[in-house]
Amino acid sequence: MTFNDLLSLGPLLNIAGASVLAMLLVAIWRNHRLVYYFTVLAYLLALMSVVPVARLLPHEIPPLVVIDLFALFNSGAIVGSGLIIVLLSYNYFEEREERKEEYYLLLLLATAGALVLVISRHFMSLFLGLEMLSISLYGLIAYLRARERSDEAGIKYLILAALSSAFLLFGMALVYGFTGHMDFPGIGAYLRETETLPVSVIAGFGLMLIGIGFKLGVVPFHMWAPDIYEGAPLPVTAFVATISKGGVLVLLIRFYQDVNGKEYTMLWWIMAIIAVISMFAGNWLALTQQNIKRLLAYSSIAHLGYLLVGFLSGAQSGLEAIAFYLVAYFVTSIGAFGVLIVMSSSVQDAETVEDYRGLFWRYPWVALVFTVMLLSLAGIPLTAGFIGKFYIVMAGVDGERWFLLIMLVINSVIGLYYYIRIIAMMFRTSETPLRTYIKPALPLAGNITLGLLVVVLIGLGVYPTRMMQLIQEMMTLIK
Amino acid sequence: MDLTFYIAAAIAVFSTVMVVTRFNIMHALLYLIVSLLSVAVIFYLYGAPFMAALEIIIYAGAIMVLIIFFVMMLNLGPETARQEKEWLRPGMWLLPALLCAVLLGELVYLIAQSKTPVTGITPVPPKEVGRSLFGPYILAVELSALLLMAGIVGAYHLGRQKKKILHRFFESNAS
Repeated sequence: MTFNDLLSLGPLLNIAGASVLAMLLVAIWRNHRLVYYFTVLAYLLALMSVVPVARLLPHEIPPLVVIDLFALFNSGAIVGSGLIIVLLSYNYFEEREERKEEYYLLLLLATAGALVLVISRHFMSLFLGLEMLSISLYGLIAYLRARERSDEAGIKYLILAALSSAFLLFGMALVYGFTGHMDFPGIGAYLRETETLPVSVIAGFGLMLIGIGFKLGVVPFHMWAPDIYEGAPLPVTAFVATISKGGVLVLLIRFYQDVNGKEYTMLWWIMAIIAVISMFAGNWLALTQQNIKRLLAYSSIAHLGYLLVGFLSGAQSGLEAIAFYLVAYFVTSIGAFGVLIVMSSSVQDAETVEDYRGLFWRYPWVALVFTVMLLSLAGIPLTAGFIGKFYIVMAGVDGERWFLLIMLVINSVIGLYYYIRIIAMMFRTSETPLRTYIKPALPLAGNITLGLLVVVLIGLGVYPTRMMQLIQEMMTLIK
Repeated sequence: MDLTFYIAAAIAVFSTVMVVTRFNIMHALLYLIVSLLSVAVIFYLYGAPFMAALEIIIYAGAIMVLIIFFVMMLNLGPETARQEKEWLRPGMWLLPALLCAVLLGELVYLIAQSKTPVTGITPVPPKEVGRSLFGPYILAVELSALLLMAGIVGAYHLGRQKKKILHRFFESNAS
């Protein structure tokens, strides 16, 4: 490995190295605050190490990884989101009874897994990254052992993730068996030479799609989502909803590009069906949901459907739209879960819609933040969510995918209903004011982080040009 | 050589079927070992003796011993076997079995498609494996280390128990 190789892996090396150092630190002196500061520092360093990589691009370390602007951009997004999740976690875990330090170790490792995913272009690094991510998540999801439902969520995720990994592996074995390549460009080159796709390669792609679909949580592989969102600790839920799904989606895009997925109409149709039913199922199931965690789970299923629409548009602008939407979705989801985190007391998570009745009159600041986040999820103008959806619709128009667009618009309207329902609940005065406030005081760090997220969200919504320029630049490079 | 492959493959399939149909978990484990061994034979046939050895050492050796210890600690007996038998009614497994049969048919069709016979096998000695692992794939080796670390940290956290739970054997003796 040359110096440039190491430099280009900077974010990954920082996070991975920090996880080892943090383990040693915990072994020597177990202290929550110390390991928390250490983790924050590690994420900050990783975020800074993104910058010097920019002049090396595109850098390849054959055969496993490639670091281009697309990978770097998403690495930055992942590390940034990880940092925000860590900032929100401290108070949440400080109030809980389990040992806190291992959480940071596992979070660092899971982030490293996601970072591997976004730079990988080989089945081996794909699988290793995916497994690093899921194995850390087994521990993270069941982290609060003493709480009800946490074991259930952990076991469910363990079994389903292991099963989906088996599908993925079998699919990769089939593809490798017939094409003789494990690196994406190699597979692409092989497929270009054959005029008809061998059945086994199609079967392999199908099996891989099951594995990937599970991780993305799209219908019909979405069954785990609500239970795991409900049972996992809130910061972990935020992680699953954003970094885990985002990393896998980036990988899917890279794979699809490298094997020229556009040319295979069957693959397109399968994904189109998945996108449409994901949007409908997610939104319908969320309509009458009383538990906000489950509601956000269904909403994230629907959002993945929207993302797939941009992906399927086939236009160049589709990929730009996805990159933008992903950032907006990261910010919005972490913000929404952040509100849940700061509102949760040490006894219970603030998870029912009823907990938010009259929130505006008690905590106007938090209620405003939550309103902005929900509006962004719904895609109301002046928020990043609106711009993201706007770009996706534009991409759909470019690709002339009218059917998918109509579905997207119908679903946006359905989605509006349940987001507005929560907002209305927050502004309602409660008739029975003596329902004990779930939380007496709000943590300062959490509030500052939420403020930051709101600024980013509105900033992207009002002035998206700079961000979009960056994304366009990046997309011309990966062509 | 073809014949040896078919025999090994047949044993692998048969023993794996036996694994899932046994009521007694220890019997199932024995079949599982047979199945892993036959897979090792297949690896050997196709010029990867090192992989065959690894398959035996790691799977048939280490992991099996772990599973057997685990099963012994769980202390399962005829009671569990009877329970399993009650669960396994035809109504329960008929449809899944049918679906699996369809999948199997698909697989057979896929395999029948490849017309070129497997020729020109290049043996892969351990040296080659080591060279590629610590040459171009060094990153993968390091990532596997991180993967194991994630597993260990997670297991350490989840495995810590505050409440002391006695084994059934000790419990009945104490009372």
